[in-house]
Amino acid sequence: MTLPTLDQAAFDHLLEITGNDLGFVDELIDTYLADASLQLEAMQVAASSGDAAALVRPAHSLKSSSANVGAMALTDICRVLEAAARTGDVPDALERVADCDRAFADARAALLAARAAR
Amino acid sequence: MNGGRVLVVDDTPFNRRLLIRLLADIGHSTVEAADGREALTMLRDDRAEPVDVVLLDIVMPVMDGYETLATLKADDALRDLPVIVISGVDELDSVVRCIQMGAADYLPKTVAPEILRARIEASMSQKRFRDLERATVDEQRRLLATIDRQRSELSRFLSPQVAALVSSEDGEAMLAGHRREITTMFCDLRNFTSFSETAEPEEVLGFLRAYHAAMGQLIVEHEGTLEHFAGDGFMTFFNDPVLQPDHAARAVGLAVAMRERFAEIASDWRKRGHVLEIGIGIATGYATLGRIGFEGRYDYGAIGQAIILAARLSSEAGPAEILIAPRTYAAAEDAITAAAAGERQLKGFSRPVEVYAVSGMAIAEVGT
Repeated sequence: MTLPTLDQAAFDHLLEITGNDLGFVDELIDTYLADASLQLEAMQVAASSGDAAALVRPAHSLKSSSANVGAMALTDICRVLEAAARTGDVPDALERVADCDRAFADARAALLAARAAR
Repeated sequence: MNGGRVLVVDDTPFNRRLLIRLLADIGHSTVEAADGREALTMLRDDRAEPVDVVLLDIVMPVMDGYETLATLKADDALRDLPVIVISGVDELDSVVRCIQMGAADYLPKTVAPEILRARIEASMSQKRFRDLERATVDEQRRLLATIDRQRSELSRFLSPQVAALVSSEDGEAMLAGHRREITTMFCDLRNFTSFSETAEPEEVLGFLRAYHAAMGQLIVEHEGTLEHFAGDGFMTFFNDPVLQPDHAARAVGLAVAMRERFAEIASDWRKRGHVLEIGIGIATGYATLGRIGFEGRYDYGAIGQAIILAARLSSEAGPAEILIAPRTYAAAEDAITAAAAGERQLKGFSRPVEVYAVSGMAIAEVGT
């Protein structure tokens, strides 16, 4: 099963709960993009030094905020990575973080494309 | 309901921004913290405006939600602050753990405003109720402490019974005045005037101090209501304000104990050349009791024919003699040993009064 890069329903939900304030939702997404980059950097550092425990928090954070904006594929990769990191042993951590990077790049492109299309 | 002040604790800027916006939309003001330690610092800052509700993320750097919650619940000043846990959809286990630790409620991260409003308001009402409850308890405790302090201060100036009456429920009605049968005891000393003229003033004061202390202790032991002390004499009564069905016998019991105790004190003074003797009069009858005096100086006092009679009997009594009125004798007969001591013509009484002289208590002393 392949999850969609971007789930339109999450975006619609954000729009709905903010009273259709499109400008604000765009700002939220920018906040997400900036924060996601920071979390990915932290994951990169943790993976490079083989510190599985240090992967848990950024993976968790990226998982939950990605879910909020509807970046479903990225959310799923983060969920699996977080669960693995909690066991304390992630031999392929660098590879998995690279997967996250790619999924994030896709999500980012999709979010910005959706904005440009409006 | 008026808007409250909500502290949003979440390390993810996206979540903070969204919650702050949603809270503002429903009329609440907000403060934010990126981790538990930052949140605790803000909550413990006395200069900061108090927070009504905390929205708390679980997974955070520095100090996570669990540790923050545990710290809040262990802090007396912050224990009652409602904490609503913000959780992702797959964090149900964590939510259960937080509720067990004392969290008030939980919310999903992207929450519909109606649900956010309802949960926040429920938690705020709960907190207001708890605050009110706490304030009421504090106020009651403070009032009780004040009453206790006043009562203990009053009891140094008044009879303990009168002090207790002042702060009792029916105190006002009792103070306003009431009729009741009481037994009154008067006592004073024979030869006190000549003693105070011949002895050194320091000696007189020293004697009075010892005499007052000894007699005062006996009055307290017998639960008499002391109306006044004046030099060598004092008046005490029974059956008011506290009811004492055996008031006549109690008064006689006190008189007998005083006579014995006084004999010990007097023998010390006799060695120094001063002969002092006590005389006691007791009468039973109806009196009007309550607040007597004038604004600024009231006493709890008694007025009645029996009181005058007790005073006259005390003057009439010879050295170490306890004279009691017929009505006292009738009431206490079974408890005391007394003999008729003839009829006396007393000042202010048109007819002679039959009196009895008490030799002691018939059985174990009453009232001790």
